[in-house]
Amino acid sequence: MHELGLTKNIIAIITEHAKGCRVKRVSLSVGPQACVETRALEFCFDIVAAGTVAENATLEILPASGDTFLIKEFETEEAA
Amino acid sequence: MCGTCGCSDTANAVKITDLSTGATQTVREGSILNASRAEQDHHAHDEEHHHHEGDDQPHRHGPGGEIISLETAILQKNDQIAERNRGWFEGRGVLALNLVSSPGAGKTTLLEATIKALENDIKISVIEGDQMTTNDAERIRDAGANAVQINTGAGCHLEADMISDAVKTLDPVAGSVLFIENVGNLVCPAMFDLGERMKIAIISTTEGEDKPLKYPHMFRASELVIINKMDLAPHVDFDEKACLENIKSVNPNADILLLSAKSKDGIDQWLSYLKNQLSS
Ligand SMILES: Nc1nc2c(ncn2[C@@H]2O[C@H](COP(=O)(O)OP(=O)(O)OP(=O)(O)O)[C@@H](O)[C@H]2O)c(=O)[nH]1
Ligand SMILES: [Mg+2]
Repeated sequence: MHELGLTKNIIAIITEHAKGCRVKRVSLSVGPQACVETRALEFCFDIVAAGTVAENATLEILPASGDTFLIKEFETEEAA
Repeated sequence: MCGTCGCSDTANAVKITDLSTGATQTVREGSILNASRAEQDHHAHDEEHHHHEGDDQPHRHGPGGEIISLETAILQKNDQIAERNRGWFEGRGVLALNLVSSPGAGKTTLLEATIKALENDIKISVIEGDQMTTNDAERIRDAGANAVQINTGAGCHLEADMISDAVKTLDPVAGSVLFIENVGNLVCPAMFDLGERMKIAIISTTEGEDKPLKYPHMFRASELVIINKMDLAPHVDFDEKACLENIKSVNPNADILLLSAKSKDGIDQWLSYLKNQLSS
């Protein structure tokens, strides 16, 4: 239900931690009880990422237990 | 998703109305989930600063760049404010209860009945959450309790920071009960901790016995499930046994009460439940 707002939050957290580096991969851990529709997250991700450090980054969704809903890690491109 | 419900629309203002003065304030524009947008834009323009020296973030080198571990909860901002609210409620001795149901299950009617039944016993205040109108807060005020109305605009649930703002206006006294009537919605409110002692889900006999199976998250997140409109049960062929089984199948630990907020049948068990919670 909240995938667009959640995706904006994900991009905001990534942007803060990336400190200007371009991000090429974002990995989330999502549990079955997280109440999050992963296909909707994927759908929102490209749109929200456009124009940010995470533009064109791939979104990886890793299965987790319970109501886990975390940004596990992200990978930056080689610094120019 | 939110493309339809609009809860993440940045143009969406959240308003709080104090029913004792009629004063309205806009507490924020858009969802808390977007609260760091300004920050985000700021960083996006900051691309020269690539240096990671002295960074305490755990990271390792991948094939091209770096892999940075975060393990950051995506709802952490809401959860942190909720924890603060919870600490405040506990410190002051206020029992905060978050009432969730589909629209029209009878949350406000049950609150009106509760306020009237306990008027000489327990001090009650209410935070009302609806997308629009102050109707419910007016009903609460007319029933004799302090009320604040939060209008979420397009938003489909209450978030923790709205509660901390509303509580400043309501200022509930020690030993009182603070009811939070969430926006009528069986989906989104399950995700958002407000700092309450517990969530209470209300289902009414006219909604069908299978609601707990269709919306398991909400029933799993609630400690108590109230089945309301029992006066209508015979007219809608309500299958009580199936409903109880369905609730138990998604949440075996849930307490369950059956009542009618209208006829007041079964309301005594609810009042004792409330008194027990208040003294524990
Ligand atoms: N017959 C019957 N009607 C009820 C009962 N409880 C509530 N109602 C009616 O159901 C309708 C909706 O009740 P509300 O209390 O406004 O429901 P609500 O959950 O607060 O609704 P929203 O705030 O709009 O989500 C009203 O017409 C009530 O009179 C009940 O126990 N029996
Ligand atoms: Mg209501």
